[in-house]
Amino acid sequence: MSADLGDRVDALGTRGTVAAAAVLAAVLAVAGLAVTGSGDTVVAVVALLFSKSTLAAALRLSVPIAFAALGGIFAEKSGVINIGLEGLLIISAFAGVYATSITGSVWLGVVGGVVASTLLALLFAVVCIEFRADQIIAGLAIWLIALGLAPFASQVVFGSKNASAGATFPDIQQLLADTGLPVVSTALVGALDALAGVPFLGALFEASPMVYLMFVAVGASWWTLNRTSFGRWVRASGENPKALDTAGVDVTRVRYAAVLLSGVLAGVGGAALSLSLGQFVGNGPTMVNGKGFIAIVTYLLGNYNPVGALLSTMLFAGLDALQLGLQGQDVLAIPQSLVRTIPYVSVIVVLALFGRTRIPEAAGEYYESGEE
Amino acid sequence: MTDADGDGSADGGPPPRSARDRAFDVLDRLVAASATERLLISGSALLLSVAIGFLLILAAGRMTSCDAAAYSLFGVGFCYDPILVYDSLFLGAFGDFFANPLNGQFATTVSETTVLVFTGVAVAVAFKAGVFNIGGQGQLVFGALASALVVYALAGAVSGLVGTVVLVTVGVAVGALVGGLYGAIPGALKAYADANEVITTIMLNFVATSVALYLAGGPFKDPESFANQTRRLPEYALFPQPLFPGRTDASLLALALAVAVAVGIAYLLRRTAFGYDVRTSGIQPEAAEYGGVDAARTVVSSMALSGALAGIGGAVYVLTIAGNFQTGVPDYGFDGITVSILAGNNPVGAVAAALLFGVLKSGSIVVDVGTDVPPQLVGVLRGLIVLFVAMPEFFRMIGKRVDVRDRLGGSRDAVATDGGEEA
Repeated sequence: MSADLGDRVDALGTRGTVAAAAVLAAVLAVAGLAVTGSGDTVVAVVALLFSKSTLAAALRLSVPIAFAALGGIFAEKSGVINIGLEGLLIISAFAGVYATSITGSVWLGVVGGVVASTLLALLFAVVCIEFRADQIIAGLAIWLIALGLAPFASQVVFGSKNASAGATFPDIQQLLADTGLPVVSTALVGALDALAGVPFLGALFEASPMVYLMFVAVGASWWTLNRTSFGRWVRASGENPKALDTAGVDVTRVRYAAVLLSGVLAGVGGAALSLSLGQFVGNGPTMVNGKGFIAIVTYLLGNYNPVGALLSTMLFAGLDALQLGLQGQDVLAIPQSLVRTIPYVSVIVVLALFGRTRIPEAAGEYYESGEE
Repeated sequence: MTDADGDGSADGGPPPRSARDRAFDVLDRLVAASATERLLISGSALLLSVAIGFLLILAAGRMTSCDAAAYSLFGVGFCYDPILVYDSLFLGAFGDFFANPLNGQFATTVSETTVLVFTGVAVAVAFKAGVFNIGGQGQLVFGALASALVVYALAGAVSGLVGTVVLVTVGVAVGALVGGLYGAIPGALKAYADANEVITTIMLNFVATSVALYLAGGPFKDPESFANQTRRLPEYALFPQPLFPGRTDASLLALALAVAVAVGIAYLLRRTAFGYDVRTSGIQPEAAEYGGVDAARTVVSSMALSGALAGIGGAVYVLTIAGNFQTGVPDYGFDGITVSILAGNNPVGAVAAALLFGVLKSGSIVVDVGTDVPPQLVGVLRGLIVLFVAMPEFFRMIGKRVDVRDRLGGSRDAVATDGGEEA
């Protein structure tokens, strides 16, 4: 897949692509409703679309996808296509719950998830960079390993494929109240309380701390990629490793760093996913259920720009949130199991329409320094 | 692993040879040169995975608690006994083979192997064309569902031996048709819209599972069952199983069909114009296009063929193991990827690799019943095998250390997503 996608040039900018995709999704949704339902249904769905709970769900569902997408951007920009993001999410979702159940702290749980995911990313990096494995197959193997290992470990430790952490993230107000800073925390909590009352956007002010961390991580990733020398190295390592090598920077080390960073970021996402519910679900495709693959699509659609990836993540997460809302409210005549396919079908449609992304020149290729 | 057809006759003939013949020869030599190496790499990958699995079982045995250690090493007790686990996994799958070769556990192994041959060959065909079909699971699910529905609808019209012949044939054909159509979708999306097939096929797997759940739990649900499944097919509509007494799932006839299909696909790839197009576009897409191969059409047709094979796998699953369509179809499609990669994308090699995974699948049931170790262990082994087969360089480096490198062939990559045969 790497070679034939290689020399495509994306005519549309990131924003244009995401905006077009959003419009398309909206048109598709309305058209779908027009075919299946009456005017009342359309009104009900639009009302649901702009309800506070839908935005809250969209933000919550964005977290694992956005973190995985950020990780994928770093890895692929450096020249290593990390299709194993799904596996990193699965292993960190379990490790987060496991670490939380032992330590009692969700924050240590996040650390546990990050450690597990980074170790698996290290294995992937060694296999791809040191032993020149085909990146797509190795990435797939990472997914399959995690898909087996997480339920296996859950069964061993908890006696069931599903495990409870016994704790979830506190909401932002609770967190602020717990800081103990007398004046600041009460003032902030009061302000947030007031803002949370705003009809639609209020959801932005009473989210889980991981949602805010996601926004911070997107900004930090953008800064790192575009404004630091490490970011320049990562981009050069994917576009023209030879030039980077000539400039005296070790391509192998840059790629290791980028892949490990993808492990760290995906680890935060996976732990955030399981710990926001306080449990790990290991049945079938596990609770991650394709989010790692959707993350890949979001950064392709966002043209490797962290902000673009966040916007397209919000698009998919929004569709998923709407889908969950529709299931809950029973406004549609369409059965739930069909409504559930909406995010997956939209991924395919978006990919088919905007599939001609320009991947980094040297992505998927092993680089050998000419110095030996 | 082994050649489909012992082609010693290809070289040494005096008549004038076309460019196409010469290209065939080059391809054949490439495959032959790397066959031994692939076998070595696959074997080493398997051994290494088993060794890591051994450590994993020990580690898991330390993480759980038990009254008495089941296994001890250097004075440290472990709750799980890896030797017993592997004994159950690999030998358990054969049951009491020497006393009764037709025992129940071996019947399970045979039936699992049969389905895996189809999904393994399906993935191999797409791989040969340079397309990575991860959607075998979805294609299999739809093939199975369609086959179950059509055969049920026709089951009333025919009966007896004629009924068996007609219904099984129709069931397999419907599975192939529906699986093929569902496989052609990502093929067309890749060929004409440049949509990455790895992502689209994975998404289509999720779609297939959900849609099948809707159909088997809604309009076509068996009204007498609580589970989401279609109505049970009469026994005469299933594959005949003359040898395994008391079993409806293990059919040597179905296994024979699977092997025949694998050999047929090997012949198709080796000896026909279509196979030439597929293999050249897998190895060198630009050169193939330059040589007059319609790359887009080759991608679509090889994905359709791949989907059709997975669809037949689904039909065979329904007409041997399941007896109707049930939601929660086992991961045959994903195991097919492992089977194909382990076999170096060789259709005939896939039969051997499928037997290995049939053993693992059947053995995992023995592990589940006979030990406390979770059967998901097999899932971990599956991932490890794929990982190690994907890194031939690792084994080459080890090979260099022990100085056997000269005996290995010259091919660089054992399996790769670009067709896997580049020199």
